[in-house]
Amino acid sequence: MVDEAKKKEVLEKLKNAVIQYDEDACKEGATEAVELGMDANEAIFDGLVAGMEEVGRLFEAQEYFVPEILMCADALYAGLDILKPHCQQMDLGIKGSVVIGTVEGDVHDIGKNLVKMMFDVAGFNVYDLGRDVPLDKFVEEQLRTDSELVCLSAMMTTSMVGMPKVIENIKKKNPDCLIMIGGAPTSKELADRWGADGYAEDASNALKEAIKMVAFLKKLRDEKLKK
Amino acid sequence: MNSRERVLKLFKGEPVDRVPCFSGMGNVTEEGINKLGYRFADIHLDAKMMADTAATTYKIFGFESGVVPVDLCVEAEALGCVINVYPHAEGILYPTIKEKLIHKEDEMDIKIPTDLAARGRVPLLAEAIKLLKADIGNDVAIGSYVLGPFTLAGQIMELNDLLKLSFKKADKVAKLLDVMADAIVIVAKEYEKAGTDFITVREMGATTDVLSPRVFKSLILPPLQKIMKEIKVHSVLHICGKTNDIVTDMMDSGTKAISVEQKNDVAESRKKLGKDALIFGNYDPYNVLVSGDEELVRSTMRKCIDDGVSAVWPGCDIWPTVPPKNMLAMIDEVKKYGGKQ
Repeated sequence: MVDEAKKKEVLEKLKNAVIQYDEDACKEGATEAVELGMDANEAIFDGLVAGMEEVGRLFEAQEYFVPEILMCADALYAGLDILKPHCQQMDLGIKGSVVIGTVEGDVHDIGKNLVKMMFDVAGFNVYDLGRDVPLDKFVEEQLRTDSELVCLSAMMTTSMVGMPKVIENIKKKNPDCLIMIGGAPTSKELADRWGADGYAEDASNALKEAIKMVAFLKKLRDEKLKK
Repeated sequence: MNSRERVLKLFKGEPVDRVPCFSGMGNVTEEGINKLGYRFADIHLDAKMMADTAATTYKIFGFESGVVPVDLCVEAEALGCVINVYPHAEGILYPTIKEKLIHKEDEMDIKIPTDLAARGRVPLLAEAIKLLKADIGNDVAIGSYVLGPFTLAGQIMELNDLLKLSFKKADKVAKLLDVMADAIVIVAKEYEKAGTDFITVREMGATTDVLSPRVFKSLILPPLQKIMKEIKVHSVLHICGKTNDIVTDMMDSGTKAISVEQKNDVAESRKKLGKDALIFGNYDPYNVLVSGDEELVRSTMRKCIDDGVSAVWPGCDIWPTVPPKNMLAMIDEVKKYGGKQ
Protein backbone atom coordinates (compact mmCIF):
# COMPACT_ATOMS: atom_id res chain seq x y z
CA MET A 1 0.00 0.00 0.00
CA VAL A 2 1.39 3.36 -0.98
CA ASP A 3 1.52 5.86 1.85
CA GLU A 4 -1.19 8.44 1.05
CA ALA A 5 0.75 11.38 2.45
CA LYS A 6 3.85 10.39 0.51
CA LYS A 7 1.78 9.93 -2.65
CA LYS A 8 0.27 13.36 -2.28
CA GLU A 9 3.73 14.82 -1.86
CA VAL A 10 4.98 13.19 -5.07
CA LEU A 11 1.95 14.35 -7.08
CA GLU A 12 2.45 17.87 -5.79
CA LYS A 13 6.12 17.69 -6.74
CA LEU A 14 5.31 16.60 -10.29
CA LYS A 15 2.68 19.29 -10.64
CA ASN A 16 4.97 22.05 -9.39
CA ALA A 17 7.89 20.82 -11.47
CA VAL A 18 5.77 21.25 -14.62
CA ILE A 19 4.54 24.68 -13.54
CA GLN A 20 8.06 25.81 -12.66
CA TYR A 21 9.49 24.22 -15.84
CA ASP A 22 11.97 22.27 -13.75
CA GLU A 23 12.98 19.21 -15.79
CA ASP A 24 15.24 17.76 -13.09
CA ALA A 25 12.58 18.00 -10.38
CA CYS A 26 10.12 16.38 -12.77
CA LYS A 27 12.46 13.44 -13.43
CA GLU A 28 13.02 13.10 -9.70
CA GLY A 29 9.30 13.14 -8.98
CA ALA A 30 8.59 10.58 -11.69
CA THR A 31 11.36 8.29 -10.43
CA GLU A 32 10.01 8.54 -6.89
CA ALA A 33 6.53 7.68 -8.14
CA VAL A 34 7.87 4.56 -9.85
CA GLU A 35 9.93 3.53 -6.81
CA LEU A 36 6.94 3.95 -4.54
CA GLY A 37 4.93 1.69 -6.80
CA MET A 38 2.39 4.40 -7.53
CA ASP A 39 -0.08 4.01 -10.39
CA ALA A 40 1.75 5.64 -13.30
CA ASN A 41 -1.49 6.84 -14.88
CA GLU A 42 -2.38 8.61 -11.69
CA ALA A 43 1.05 10.24 -11.58
CA ILE A 44 0.57 11.43 -15.16
CA PHE A 45 -2.94 12.77 -14.78
CA ASP A 46 -2.95 14.08 -11.22
CA GLY A 47 0.65 15.23 -11.34
CA LEU A 48 1.89 16.22 -14.79
CA VAL A 49 -1.44 17.07 -16.40
CA ALA A 50 -2.64 18.90 -13.31
CA GLY A 51 0.51 21.02 -13.64
CA MET A 52 -0.17 21.64 -17.31
CA GLU A 53 -3.71 22.73 -16.51
CA GLU A 54 -2.32 25.35 -14.17
CA VAL A 55 0.12 26.40 -16.90
CA GLY A 56 -2.87 26.87 -19.21
CA ARG A 57 -4.48 29.07 -16.60
CA LEU A 58 -1.31 31.13 -16.20
CA PHE A 59 -1.18 31.53 -19.98
CA GLU A 60 -4.76 32.78 -20.08
CA ALA A 61 -3.98 35.22 -17.28
CA GLN A 62 -1.02 36.44 -19.37
CA GLU A 63 1.41 35.55 -16.62
CA TYR A 64 2.99 32.94 -18.85
CA PHE A 65 3.79 33.35 -22.54
CA VAL A 66 4.86 30.86 -25.18
CA PRO A 67 8.52 30.50 -24.06
CA GLU A 68 7.37 29.44 -20.57
CA ILE A 69 4.85 26.97 -22.00
CA LEU A 70 7.54 25.35 -24.13
CA MET A 71 9.76 24.92 -21.11
CA CYS A 72 6.85 23.48 -19.10
CA ALA A 73 6.25 21.03 -21.95
CA ASP A 74 9.90 19.94 -21.79
CA ALA A 75 9.50 19.29 -18.06
CA LEU A 76 6.30 17.33 -18.65
CA TYR A 77 7.97 15.11 -21.26
CA ALA A 78 10.94 14.51 -18.92
CA GLY A 79 8.49 13.04 -16.42
CA LEU A 80 6.33 11.31 -19.00
CA ASP A 81 9.31 9.44 -20.50
CA ILE A 82 9.96 7.85 -17.12
CA LEU A 83 6.34 7.09 -16.29
CA LYS A 84 5.13 5.84 -19.68
CA PRO A 85 6.79 2.38 -19.56
CA HIS A 86 5.04 1.75 -16.24
CA CYS A 87 1.57 2.60 -17.47
CA GLN A 88 -1.05 -0.12 -17.24
CA GLN A 89 -3.45 -0.38 -20.11
CA MET A 90 -5.21 2.91 -19.65
CA ASP A 91 -8.91 2.78 -19.09
CA LEU A 92 -10.14 6.20 -20.07
CA GLY A 93 -13.27 4.74 -21.59
CA ILE A 94 -11.91 5.65 -25.00
CA LYS A 95 -8.98 4.61 -27.11
CA GLY A 96 -7.91 6.27 -30.22
CA SER A 97 -5.30 6.97 -32.77
CA VAL A 98 -4.63 10.28 -34.42
CA VAL A 99 -2.85 11.57 -37.50
CA ILE A 100 -1.45 15.03 -36.87
CA GLY A 101 0.58 17.55 -38.82
CA THR A 102 1.05 21.13 -40.01
CA VAL A 103 -0.26 21.67 -43.54
CA GLU A 104 1.87 22.30 -46.59
CA GLY A 105 3.23 25.80 -46.87
CA ASP A 106 3.54 26.19 -43.11
CA VAL A 107 6.68 25.33 -41.18
CA HIS A 108 5.35 26.32 -37.76
CA ASP A 109 4.85 23.38 -35.45
CA ILE A 110 4.84 24.70 -31.90
CA GLY A 111 1.07 24.56 -31.51
CA LYS A 112 0.93 21.20 -33.23
CA ASN A 113 3.56 19.81 -30.86
CA LEU A 114 1.64 21.01 -27.81
CA VAL A 115 -1.50 19.30 -29.08
CA LYS A 116 0.51 16.17 -29.81
CA MET A 117 1.79 16.21 -26.25
CA MET A 118 -1.75 16.15 -24.92
CA PHE A 119 -2.55 13.13 -27.11
CA ASP A 120 0.62 11.40 -25.91
CA VAL A 121 -0.43 12.03 -22.36
CA ALA A 122 -3.93 10.66 -22.98
CA GLY A 123 -2.47 7.45 -24.40
CA PHE A 124 -3.43 7.96 -28.02
CA ASN A 125 -1.46 6.35 -30.82
CA VAL A 126 0.00 9.42 -32.47
CA TYR A 127 1.12 9.44 -36.10
CA ASP A 128 2.99 12.71 -36.36
CA LEU A 129 3.58 13.78 -39.96
CA GLY A 130 5.61 16.82 -38.92
CA ARG A 131 5.33 20.14 -40.70
CA ASP A 132 4.92 21.40 -44.25
CA VAL A 133 2.99 18.19 -44.97
CA PRO A 134 1.65 17.75 -48.54
CA LEU A 135 -2.15 17.67 -48.40
CA ASP A 136 -2.45 14.19 -49.94
CA LYS A 137 -0.18 12.78 -47.26
CA PHE A 138 -2.87 13.37 -44.61
CA VAL A 139 -5.37 11.42 -46.67
CA GLU A 140 -2.95 8.54 -47.34
CA GLU A 141 -1.87 8.30 -43.72
CA GLN A 142 -5.44 8.27 -42.48
CA LEU A 143 -6.27 5.39 -44.83
CA ARG A 144 -3.10 3.51 -43.87
CA THR A 145 -3.60 3.80 -40.12
CA ASP A 146 -7.41 3.88 -40.07
CA SER A 147 -7.13 6.50 -37.34
CA GLU A 148 -10.31 7.90 -35.87
CA LEU A 149 -8.96 11.40 -35.83
CA VAL A 150 -7.00 13.72 -38.08
CA CYS A 151 -5.64 17.03 -36.77
CA LEU A 152 -4.60 19.78 -39.16
CA SER A 153 -2.62 22.73 -37.92
CA ALA A 154 -1.69 26.04 -39.53
CA MET A 155 -0.26 29.20 -38.09
CA MET A 156 -0.48 31.37 -41.15
CA THR A 157 -3.53 32.37 -43.12
CA THR A 158 -1.55 31.67 -46.26
CA SER A 159 -1.35 27.97 -45.47
CA MET A 160 -4.66 27.52 -43.66
CA VAL A 161 -6.53 27.70 -46.94
CA GLY A 162 -5.24 24.24 -47.89
CA MET A 163 -7.34 22.73 -45.12
CA PRO A 164 -10.77 22.44 -46.80
CA LYS A 165 -9.31 20.29 -49.55
CA VAL A 166 -7.86 17.79 -47.05
CA ILE A 167 -11.11 17.68 -45.09
CA GLU A 168 -13.12 17.05 -48.25
CA ASN A 169 -10.81 14.29 -49.48
CA ILE A 170 -10.71 12.44 -46.18
CA LYS A 171 -14.46 12.67 -45.64
CA LYS A 172 -15.06 11.39 -49.16
CA LYS A 173 -13.03 8.24 -48.50
CA ASN A 174 -13.88 7.80 -44.86
CA PRO A 175 -16.93 9.72 -43.65
CA ASP A 176 -16.53 8.40 -40.07
CA CYS A 177 -13.15 9.94 -39.57
CA LEU A 178 -13.25 13.02 -37.39
CA ILE A 179 -11.23 16.05 -38.27
CA MET A 180 -9.97 18.82 -36.07
CA ILE A 181 -8.37 22.02 -37.23
CA GLY A 182 -6.33 24.35 -35.12
CA GLY A 183 -3.96 27.27 -35.08
CA ALA A 184 -4.08 31.02 -34.71
CA PRO A 185 -5.97 31.93 -37.91
CA THR A 186 -8.64 29.22 -37.64
CA SER A 187 -12.03 29.78 -36.10
CA LYS A 188 -15.20 27.94 -35.17
CA GLU A 189 -16.90 29.51 -38.21
CA LEU A 190 -14.24 28.22 -40.61
CA ALA A 191 -14.36 24.75 -39.03
CA ASP A 192 -18.12 24.68 -39.55
CA ARG A 193 -17.95 25.95 -43.09
CA TRP A 194 -15.23 23.50 -44.11
CA GLY A 195 -16.96 20.53 -42.50
CA ALA A 196 -14.39 19.94 -39.75
CA ASP A 197 -15.74 18.31 -36.59
CA GLY A 198 -13.70 20.24 -34.10
CA TYR A 199 -11.70 23.36 -33.73
CA ALA A 200 -9.14 24.36 -31.16
CA GLU A 201 -7.26 27.56 -30.80
CA ASP A 202 -4.80 26.06 -28.34
CA ALA A 203 -3.51 22.78 -26.97
CA SER A 204 -5.70 22.39 -23.90
CA ASN A 205 -8.89 22.96 -25.88
CA ALA A 206 -7.69 20.54 -28.53
CA LEU A 207 -7.45 17.69 -26.05
CA LYS A 208 -10.92 18.32 -24.62
CA GLU A 209 -12.37 18.46 -28.12
CA ALA A 210 -10.50 15.35 -29.19
CA ILE A 211 -11.76 13.23 -26.29
CA LYS A 212 -15.31 14.44 -26.85
CA MET A 213 -15.14 13.56 -30.51
CA VAL A 214 -13.65 10.10 -30.10
CA ALA A 215 -16.21 9.28 -27.41
CA PHE A 216 -18.97 10.33 -29.76
CA LEU A 217 -17.55 8.20 -32.55
CA LYS A 218 -17.38 5.18 -30.27
CA LYS A 219 -21.02 5.69 -29.38
CA LEU A 220 -21.97 5.78 -33.07
CA ARG A 221 -20.08 2.58 -33.76
CA ASP A 222 -21.62 0.84 -30.75
CA GLU A 223 -25.08 1.77 -31.96
CA LYS A 224 -24.30 0.45 -35.42
CA LEU A 225 -23.06 -2.83 -33.95
CA LYS A 226 -26.26 -3.25 -31.94
CA LYS A 227 -28.28 -3.04 -35.13
CA MET B 1 -4.58 64.54 -55.35
CA ASN B 2 -3.66 61.18 -56.84
CA SER B 3 -3.02 58.04 -54.83
CA ARG B 4 0.70 58.56 -54.71
CA GLU B 5 0.43 62.12 -53.43
CA ARG B 6 -2.18 61.08 -50.89
CA VAL B 7 -0.01 58.34 -49.38
CA LEU B 8 3.19 60.37 -49.38
CA LYS B 9 1.47 63.40 -47.85
CA LEU B 10 0.05 61.14 -45.15
CA PHE B 11 3.54 59.92 -44.30
CA LYS B 12 4.79 63.50 -44.14
CA GLY B 13 2.02 64.48 -41.76
CA GLU B 14 0.42 66.83 -44.30
CA PRO B 15 -3.37 67.08 -44.73
CA VAL B 16 -5.02 64.60 -47.11
CA ASP B 17 -8.48 64.67 -48.70
CA ARG B 18 -9.37 61.23 -47.39
CA VAL B 19 -7.99 58.13 -45.73
CA PRO B 20 -5.99 56.13 -48.31
CA CYS B 21 -6.58 52.42 -48.99
CA PHE B 22 -3.23 50.70 -49.39
CA SER B 23 -0.79 48.23 -47.87
CA GLY B 24 2.91 47.72 -47.39
CA MET B 25 2.54 43.96 -47.20
CA GLY B 26 1.86 41.39 -49.90
CA ASN B 27 -1.20 42.10 -52.01
CA VAL B 28 -1.00 40.16 -55.27
CA THR B 29 -4.26 38.60 -56.42
CA GLU B 30 -5.17 35.52 -58.43
CA GLU B 31 -7.19 37.82 -60.65
CA GLY B 32 -4.01 39.73 -61.48
CA ILE B 33 -1.87 36.63 -61.93
CA ASN B 34 -4.43 35.01 -64.23
CA LYS B 35 -4.85 38.14 -66.35
CA LEU B 36 -1.12 38.06 -66.98
CA GLY B 37 -1.16 34.33 -67.67
CA TYR B 38 1.47 33.68 -64.99
CA ARG B 39 1.74 30.92 -62.37
CA PHE B 40 2.11 31.93 -58.71
CA ALA B 41 5.11 29.63 -58.24
CA ASP B 42 6.98 31.43 -61.06
CA ILE B 43 6.64 35.01 -59.93
CA HIS B 44 9.06 34.62 -57.00
CA LEU B 45 12.05 33.96 -59.24
CA ASP B 46 11.61 36.54 -62.00
CA ALA B 47 11.84 40.29 -61.39
CA LYS B 48 9.62 41.23 -64.29
CA MET B 49 6.91 38.72 -63.47
CA MET B 50 7.00 39.81 -59.83
CA ALA B 51 6.74 43.51 -60.72
CA ASP B 52 4.03 42.91 -63.34
CA THR B 53 1.96 40.96 -60.84
CA ALA B 54 2.44 43.50 -58.07
CA ALA B 55 1.24 46.28 -60.38
CA THR B 56 -2.07 44.55 -61.16
CA THR B 57 -3.61 45.24 -57.74
CA TYR B 58 -3.48 48.94 -58.60
CA LYS B 59 -4.26 48.51 -62.28
CA ILE B 60 -7.30 46.29 -61.83
CA PHE B 61 -8.72 47.50 -58.54
CA GLY B 62 -7.25 50.94 -57.90
CA PHE B 63 -5.41 49.79 -54.76
CA GLU B 64 -3.26 52.72 -53.72
CA SER B 65 0.22 51.17 -53.55
CA GLY B 66 2.44 48.73 -55.39
CA VAL B 67 4.45 46.33 -53.24
CA VAL B 68 7.22 43.77 -53.70
CA PRO B 69 8.41 41.27 -52.38
CA VAL B 70 5.57 38.75 -52.47
CA ASP B 71 6.97 36.18 -50.02
CA LEU B 72 8.79 36.33 -46.67
CA CYS B 73 11.99 34.45 -47.39
CA VAL B 74 14.27 37.00 -49.08
CA GLU B 75 16.48 37.86 -46.09
CA ALA B 76 16.79 34.30 -44.78
CA GLU B 77 17.71 33.05 -48.23
CA ALA B 78 20.39 35.73 -48.61
CA LEU B 79 21.80 34.70 -45.24
CA GLY B 80 22.17 31.13 -46.49
CA CYS B 81 18.92 29.28 -45.84
CA VAL B 82 17.52 27.09 -48.58
CA ILE B 83 13.98 27.96 -49.61
CA ASN B 84 11.18 25.99 -51.22
CA VAL B 85 9.04 27.84 -53.77
CA TYR B 86 6.87 24.75 -54.36
CA PRO B 87 7.59 24.95 -58.10
CA HIS B 88 5.02 22.32 -59.05
CA ALA B 89 2.20 23.49 -56.82
CA GLU B 90 -1.06 23.96 -58.68
CA GLY B 91 -2.61 26.49 -56.31
CA ILE B 92 -1.16 29.18 -54.13
CA LEU B 93 1.65 28.11 -51.83
CA TYR B 94 3.99 30.75 -50.47
CA PRO B 95 7.71 29.91 -50.31
CA THR B 96 9.02 28.57 -47.00
CA ILE B 97 12.44 27.87 -45.48
CA LYS B 98 13.56 24.32 -46.17
CA GLU B 99 16.97 24.34 -44.52
CA LYS B 100 17.84 26.42 -41.48
CA LEU B 101 21.16 28.10 -40.86
CA ILE B 102 21.46 27.52 -37.12
CA HIS B 103 20.75 24.01 -35.85
CA LYS B 104 21.82 24.29 -32.24
CA GLU B 105 22.58 26.82 -29.59
CA ASP B 106 26.33 26.91 -30.13
CA GLU B 107 25.87 27.84 -33.79
CA MET B 108 24.18 31.11 -32.94
CA ASP B 109 27.30 33.19 -33.28
CA ILE B 110 26.90 33.89 -37.01
CA LYS B 111 28.53 36.46 -39.23
CA ILE B 112 26.76 38.30 -42.03
CA PRO B 113 28.24 37.43 -45.45
CA THR B 114 30.12 40.48 -46.72
CA ASP B 115 28.31 40.26 -50.05
CA LEU B 116 24.82 39.95 -48.53
CA ALA B 117 23.38 42.60 -50.87
CA ALA B 118 24.39 40.46 -53.86
CA ARG B 119 23.13 37.16 -52.50
CA GLY B 120 19.93 35.20 -53.00
CA ARG B 121 17.14 37.27 -54.47
CA VAL B 122 18.19 40.66 -53.06
CA PRO B 123 19.32 41.88 -56.53
CA LEU B 124 16.16 40.41 -58.08
CA LEU B 125 14.06 42.37 -55.61
CA ALA B 126 15.96 45.59 -56.33
CA GLU B 127 15.28 45.02 -60.01
CA ALA B 128 11.59 44.32 -59.34
CA ILE B 129 11.28 47.57 -57.36
CA LYS B 130 12.79 49.52 -60.26
CA LEU B 131 10.43 47.90 -62.75
CA LEU B 132 7.41 48.45 -60.55
CA LYS B 133 8.37 52.07 -60.01
CA ALA B 134 8.83 52.65 -63.74
CA ASP B 135 5.44 51.06 -64.40
CA ILE B 136 3.13 52.66 -61.83
CA GLY B 137 5.41 54.86 -59.72
CA ASN B 138 3.80 58.10 -60.93
CA ASP B 139 0.38 56.96 -59.81
CA VAL B 140 0.95 55.15 -56.52
CA ALA B 141 3.50 54.91 -53.74
CA ILE B 142 5.90 51.97 -54.08
CA GLY B 143 6.43 49.91 -50.96
CA SER B 144 8.76 47.11 -49.93
CA TYR B 145 9.07 45.12 -46.78
CA VAL B 146 11.73 43.45 -44.67
CA LEU B 147 11.28 41.14 -41.73
CA GLY B 148 11.84 42.20 -38.16
CA PRO B 149 14.88 40.82 -36.30
CA PHE B 150 13.00 38.29 -34.16
CA THR B 151 10.90 37.01 -37.05
CA LEU B 152 14.02 36.59 -39.18
CA ALA B 153 15.84 34.83 -36.34
CA GLY B 154 12.84 32.48 -36.11
CA GLN B 155 13.40 31.57 -39.74
CA ILE B 156 17.11 30.86 -39.59
CA MET B 157 16.87 28.76 -36.41
CA GLU B 158 14.18 26.61 -34.77
CA LEU B 159 11.53 28.96 -33.43
CA ASN B 160 11.02 26.55 -30.56
CA ASP B 161 14.66 26.99 -29.46
CA LEU B 162 14.65 30.73 -30.09
CA LEU B 163 11.61 31.21 -27.86
CA LYS B 164 13.04 29.16 -25.02
CA LEU B 165 16.44 30.84 -25.27
CA SER B 166 14.86 34.29 -25.26
CA PHE B 167 13.84 33.33 -21.74
CA LYS B 168 16.80 31.26 -20.60
CA LYS B 169 19.67 33.06 -22.34
CA ALA B 170 18.37 36.47 -23.27
CA ASP B 171 21.87 37.92 -23.82
CA LYS B 172 22.66 35.31 -26.46
CA VAL B 173 19.41 36.03 -28.27
CA ALA B 174 19.96 39.78 -27.99
CA LYS B 175 23.31 39.35 -29.72
CA LEU B 176 21.74 37.35 -32.54
CA LEU B 177 18.96 39.90 -32.98
CA ASP B 178 21.53 42.66 -33.25
CA VAL B 179 23.21 40.77 -36.10
CA MET B 180 19.77 40.26 -37.69
CA ALA B 181 19.17 44.02 -37.47
CA ASP B 182 22.42 44.67 -39.37
CA ALA B 183 21.44 42.19 -42.07
CA ILE B 184 17.97 43.70 -42.39
CA VAL B 185 19.43 47.19 -42.75
CA ILE B 186 21.68 46.00 -45.60
CA VAL B 187 18.65 44.63 -47.47
CA ALA B 188 16.53 47.71 -46.71
CA LYS B 189 19.31 49.93 -48.11
CA GLU B 190 19.20 48.02 -51.39
CA TYR B 191 15.45 48.57 -51.59
CA GLU B 192 15.93 52.27 -50.90
CA LYS B 193 18.56 52.55 -53.62
CA ALA B 194 16.15 50.87 -56.02
CA GLY B 195 13.64 53.61 -55.31
CA THR B 196 11.07 52.31 -52.87
CA ASP B 197 9.00 55.06 -51.24
CA PHE B 198 8.37 53.28 -47.96
CA ILE B 199 9.47 50.18 -46.12
CA THR B 200 7.39 48.08 -43.76
CA VAL B 201 9.27 46.14 -41.09
CA ARG B 202 7.24 43.01 -40.42
CA GLU B 203 7.96 41.75 -36.94
CA MET B 204 5.11 39.23 -36.94
CA GLY B 205 6.85 36.75 -34.69
CA ALA B 206 7.22 39.10 -31.75
CA THR B 207 3.52 39.43 -31.06
CA THR B 208 2.25 39.74 -27.50
CA ASP B 209 0.30 36.53 -28.16
CA VAL B 210 3.72 34.87 -27.96
CA LEU B 211 6.09 37.11 -26.00
CA SER B 212 5.36 39.23 -22.96
CA PRO B 213 5.36 43.03 -23.30
CA ARG B 214 8.32 43.02 -20.93
CA VAL B 215 10.39 40.79 -23.21
CA PHE B 216 9.27 42.86 -26.20
CA LYS B 217 10.67 45.97 -24.59
CA SER B 218 13.95 44.47 -23.39
CA LEU B 219 14.76 42.17 -26.29
CA ILE B 220 12.90 43.21 -29.46
CA LEU B 221 12.76 46.97 -29.20
CA PRO B 222 16.53 47.72 -29.25
CA PRO B 223 17.24 45.99 -32.60
CA LEU B 224 14.05 47.51 -34.05
CA GLN B 225 15.29 50.95 -33.05
CA LYS B 226 18.57 50.22 -34.74
CA ILE B 227 16.76 49.34 -37.98
CA MET B 228 14.39 52.31 -37.90
CA LYS B 229 17.28 54.69 -37.37
CA GLU B 230 18.87 53.47 -40.59
CA ILE B 231 15.77 53.49 -42.79
CA LYS B 232 15.71 56.84 -44.55
CA VAL B 233 12.48 56.43 -46.55
CA HIS B 234 9.10 56.35 -44.77
CA SER B 235 8.80 53.44 -42.39
CA VAL B 236 6.01 51.30 -40.99
CA LEU B 237 6.27 48.76 -38.17
CA HIS B 238 3.85 45.84 -38.38
CA ILE B 239 3.21 43.45 -35.51
CA CYS B 240 0.44 40.82 -35.42
CA GLY B 241 -1.86 39.92 -32.57
CA LYS B 242 -3.27 41.79 -29.61
CA THR B 243 -0.87 44.74 -29.77
CA ASN B 244 -2.72 47.20 -27.55
CA ASP B 245 -0.26 46.75 -24.70
CA ILE B 246 2.75 47.58 -26.86
CA VAL B 247 1.58 50.30 -29.28
CA THR B 248 3.56 52.92 -27.37
CA ASP B 249 6.68 50.75 -27.52
CA MET B 250 6.06 50.21 -31.22
CA MET B 251 6.07 53.97 -31.75
CA ASP B 252 9.22 54.24 -29.63
CA SER B 253 11.02 52.14 -32.24
CA GLY B 254 11.31 55.35 -34.23
CA THR B 255 8.96 54.20 -36.97
CA LYS B 256 6.85 56.76 -38.79
CA ALA B 257 3.72 54.61 -38.72
CA ILE B 258 2.50 51.45 -37.04
CA SER B 259 0.47 48.70 -38.66
CA VAL B 260 -1.88 46.64 -36.52
CA GLU B 261 -4.25 43.80 -37.25
CA GLN B 262 -7.88 43.09 -36.39
CA LYS B 263 -7.10 41.96 -32.83
CA ASN B 264 -5.96 45.49 -31.99
CA ASP B 265 -8.63 47.82 -30.65
CA VAL B 266 -7.79 50.84 -32.80
CA ALA B 267 -10.08 53.26 -30.98
CA GLU B 268 -8.14 52.40 -27.84
CA SER B 269 -4.77 52.75 -29.62
CA ARG B 270 -5.82 56.11 -31.03
CA LYS B 271 -6.67 57.35 -27.55
CA LYS B 272 -3.29 56.18 -26.27
CA LEU B 273 -1.18 57.58 -29.12
CA GLY B 274 -3.00 60.83 -29.84
CA LYS B 275 -4.54 62.28 -32.98
CA ASP B 276 -1.39 62.74 -35.04
CA ALA B 277 0.05 59.23 -34.73
CA LEU B 278 -0.04 57.24 -37.95
CA ILE B 279 -1.97 54.04 -37.27
CA PHE B 280 -2.58 51.76 -40.24
CA GLY B 281 -5.10 48.94 -40.05
CA ASN B 282 -6.91 46.87 -39.29
CA TYR B 283 -9.29 44.70 -41.29
CA ASP B 284 -9.10 40.91 -41.38
CA PRO B 285 -7.81 40.13 -44.87
CA TYR B 286 -9.19 36.59 -44.85
CA ASN B 287 -12.43 36.48 -42.89
CA VAL B 288 -13.58 39.84 -44.21
CA LEU B 289 -11.97 40.37 -47.59
CA VAL B 290 -11.88 36.80 -48.90
CA SER B 291 -14.78 35.04 -47.27
CA GLY B 292 -17.01 37.95 -46.31
CA ASP B 293 -19.73 39.38 -48.55
CA GLU B 294 -19.70 42.88 -49.99
CA GLU B 295 -21.78 44.28 -47.14
CA LEU B 296 -19.34 42.93 -44.53
CA VAL B 297 -16.45 44.41 -46.49
CA ARG B 298 -18.13 47.81 -46.61
CA SER B 299 -19.18 47.86 -42.96
CA THR B 300 -15.69 46.76 -41.88
CA MET B 301 -14.10 49.60 -43.84
CA ARG B 302 -16.43 52.08 -42.16
CA LYS B 303 -15.60 50.63 -38.76
CA CYS B 304 -11.83 50.96 -39.39
CA ILE B 305 -12.34 54.60 -40.34
CA ASP B 306 -14.68 55.32 -37.42
CA ASP B 307 -12.17 53.75 -35.03
CA GLY B 308 -9.62 56.24 -36.29
CA VAL B 309 -7.15 54.54 -38.65
CA SER B 310 -4.90 56.90 -40.62
CA ALA B 311 -5.04 54.51 -43.57
CA VAL B 312 -7.26 51.54 -44.27
CA TRP B 313 -4.76 48.71 -44.50
CA PRO B 314 -4.97 44.92 -44.04
CA GLY B 315 -3.91 43.00 -40.92
CA CYS B 316 -1.64 40.75 -43.00
CA ASP B 317 -1.01 39.85 -46.65
CA ILE B 318 -4.06 40.08 -48.85
CA TRP B 319 -4.84 36.49 -49.76
CA PRO B 320 -4.66 36.00 -53.57
CA THR B 321 -8.06 34.31 -53.95
CA VAL B 322 -9.82 37.49 -52.83
CA PRO B 323 -13.03 37.90 -54.88
CA PRO B 324 -12.63 40.88 -57.24
CA LYS B 325 -15.99 42.33 -56.19
CA ASN B 326 -14.77 42.53 -52.59
CA MET B 327 -11.58 44.35 -53.61
CA LEU B 328 -13.66 46.83 -55.58
CA ALA B 329 -16.18 47.25 -52.74
CA MET B 330 -13.34 47.90 -50.29
CA ILE B 331 -11.76 50.65 -52.34
CA ASP B 332 -15.12 52.14 -53.29
CA GLU B 333 -16.22 52.32 -49.67
CA VAL B 334 -12.96 53.93 -48.52
CA LYS B 335 -13.29 56.54 -51.30
CA LYS B 336 -16.87 57.30 -50.30
CA TYR B 337 -16.50 57.23 -46.53
CA GLY B 338 -12.83 58.00 -45.99
CA GLY B 339 -13.13 61.79 -46.20
CA LYS B 340 -15.92 62.12 -43.69
CA GLN B 341 -13.72 62.25 -40.60
